[in-house]
Amino acid sequence: MIAENTQTQMRKGILEYCVLLIISRGEIYASDIIAELKQAKLLVVEGTLYPLLTRLKNNGLLSYNWVESTSGPPRKYYMLTEAGKGILKQLDTTWEELSYAINTSRKVADKESKEQTNQTES
Amino acid sequence: MKKTHNINIGNAIVHIEEDAYEMLTVYLNEVKQHFSKSADDFEIVTDIENRIAEMFAEALATQQKQVINIEDVQSVIGQMGSVKDFEVLEDVEDGAYTASAQYDPIKKLYRDTDQAMIAGVCSGLGHYLAIETKWIRLFAFLSIFIFGGGILVYIIFWIMVPKAKTRIEKMEMRGEETNLKGFANSYLHPFAEQSRGFIAGFIQAIGEFVQGTGKVIFKFIVGAIIVFASLFLLGTIVALAAFLGFWNSDVHNYFPISMVNEEYMFAMAISAFIILIIPLLGLILFSIRIGFNGRPVNKVLSYGLLLIWLGGVVTEIYHVAKIFTEFKEGAEFAQVTPLATYPVYSLKINTARFFTKEDSLNYRIDPTHYKGRKILNNLDDDYNTPRSISFRMEKSLDGKVSLNTNFKSRGKTFEVALKNAQNIHYDFLQEGASLIFNPVLNIPKMANWRGQEVELTLNIPVGTEIQISNEFNRYLKGYGYWDCDHEEGAQYTSWIMTETGAKCKFEKVKKEE
Repeated sequence: MIAENTQTQMRKGILEYCVLLIISRGEIYASDIIAELKQAKLLVVEGTLYPLLTRLKNNGLLSYNWVESTSGPPRKYYMLTEAGKGILKQLDTTWEELSYAINTSRKVADKESKEQTNQTES
Repeated sequence: MKKTHNINIGNAIVHIEEDAYEMLTVYLNEVKQHFSKSADDFEIVTDIENRIAEMFAEALATQQKQVINIEDVQSVIGQMGSVKDFEVLEDVEDGAYTASAQYDPIKKLYRDTDQAMIAGVCSGLGHYLAIETKWIRLFAFLSIFIFGGGILVYIIFWIMVPKAKTRIEKMEMRGEETNLKGFANSYLHPFAEQSRGFIAGFIQAIGEFVQGTGKVIFKFIVGAIIVFASLFLLGTIVALAAFLGFWNSDVHNYFPISMVNEEYMFAMAISAFIILIIPLLGLILFSIRIGFNGRPVNKVLSYGLLLIWLGGVVTEIYHVAKIFTEFKEGAEFAQVTPLATYPVYSLKINTARFFTKEDSLNYRIDPTHYKGRKILNNLDDDYNTPRSISFRMEKSLDGKVSLNTNFKSRGKTFEVALKNAQNIHYDFLQEGASLIFNPVLNIPKMANWRGQEVELTLNIPVGTEIQISNEFNRYLKGYGYWDCDHEEGAQYTSWIMTETGAKCKFEKVKKEE
């Protein structure tokens, strides 16, 4: 349960960061975001994305334009707002910090586990 | 061949096969339910629906077909993800979306025709009450012996409870979750259709026959309503014709009509006719429509009828109000008739006058029918005027006997009221010790009833006895006639004038004993 919870938290945070990253490259349609996320193996189903986009939009990080489509109803193309760009920058720094923290912790952990295996071998 | 539906999704019309439609409905309901606790549910669901519409459009274009089938819906759901997939990424503490995912399946009562013996009432109840169908059938069979009550209840259920037709209805009947999981289950384990033996088949045939007769009975009832309403309609028309033909004869003397001024009569009769006949017409048209699938009534016609009806109501109210103003002022005058003095008076009703041939015809008194009864008791059925004669007894101050007759009436003005009062004709005569009163007051033939009243006050000295005949009691005002016992064999009660007013003699005697 705790493991699941932590996983969910991590996935959730990273998913938001990734979505903001993808959108930061320019106007993009939801299913294209999905395609990229699928490639990144972060997300499998589209349904999850819509609540997330709506929430980010309502928090003022995103805005969208209606664009006519040849196949079906008009599409919402998302882009970052100024606030969204600011948040993205903050997240960039946070990610740097986090990845440093994880790398450091991992290196130490790796060393210890290697020492342990060495000890047991000898 | 499959049945298809037309749906509007994301502002596009899509043809979709029935099973695919059911699955999509279930899916979208589940999605709606899932997001229903979120503030942005409408926007999210709209986004999802739009995307589904787009996927459908793509599927139709790439496969070059016209109709969405169940595989398309399944692939869309696979791409969009089920509610379970949504939950993976949602906060546990947040709880915004997760809690709504579990909802109790709703169980609904349907008739289970797949496992029916007759019409599926028992097996439907079995699903609903979660009791094995055979017990319900046993109970139903036994309840037939309670004066056949079981049969009646069965038929009521048969008529009232719908048949489970679609897959969703069948799932609701079983109390299965109408979500995708339940849906998939129902595909894996299709609803078992009981193989029917010869008897069940026979019963089914009878059942269909009974259902057919049920419809026949319904039509019969509707038909009866139409026939009766039509007869009533015809009767109203005849009544109107008769009334307009005879309005200045006897009918005018009967009470509610006697209030109506002659010049209002025509308008009021016509508007009363309209007020009656239009709802009847409506009832007939409505019955024809529901009973025999007739076409709905033309809107212009029905609004026109409504307007005419309202016009009738307004006309009627206008005239009634006009008549009411003629009751505004009251007037009265008194006439004193001195009477010869006797120690005992006997008060009677002038029965002789009442039994004129004309009156007998008027009141439809059939002498053979009323044989052995007191016909005057039937004065209560007298429509001529409301009870308009009242009688009181008072102590004579000067020791002389007199009858004070007070004529009262109402009218638009005091003068009219007084004139109405003067026009009252009331007969009274003294035959020795008998005072004989007319049962009714008379007003001129063409005059209207305007609350005409006659108040009779008999002034007699203290100690005088009054014998009041049984027929006369209805005119007594303020005396406990029924508290006063009859002397044995007497057709009257005896009263004695005292210093404090008239007292019942018999009671007095009783007290002395």
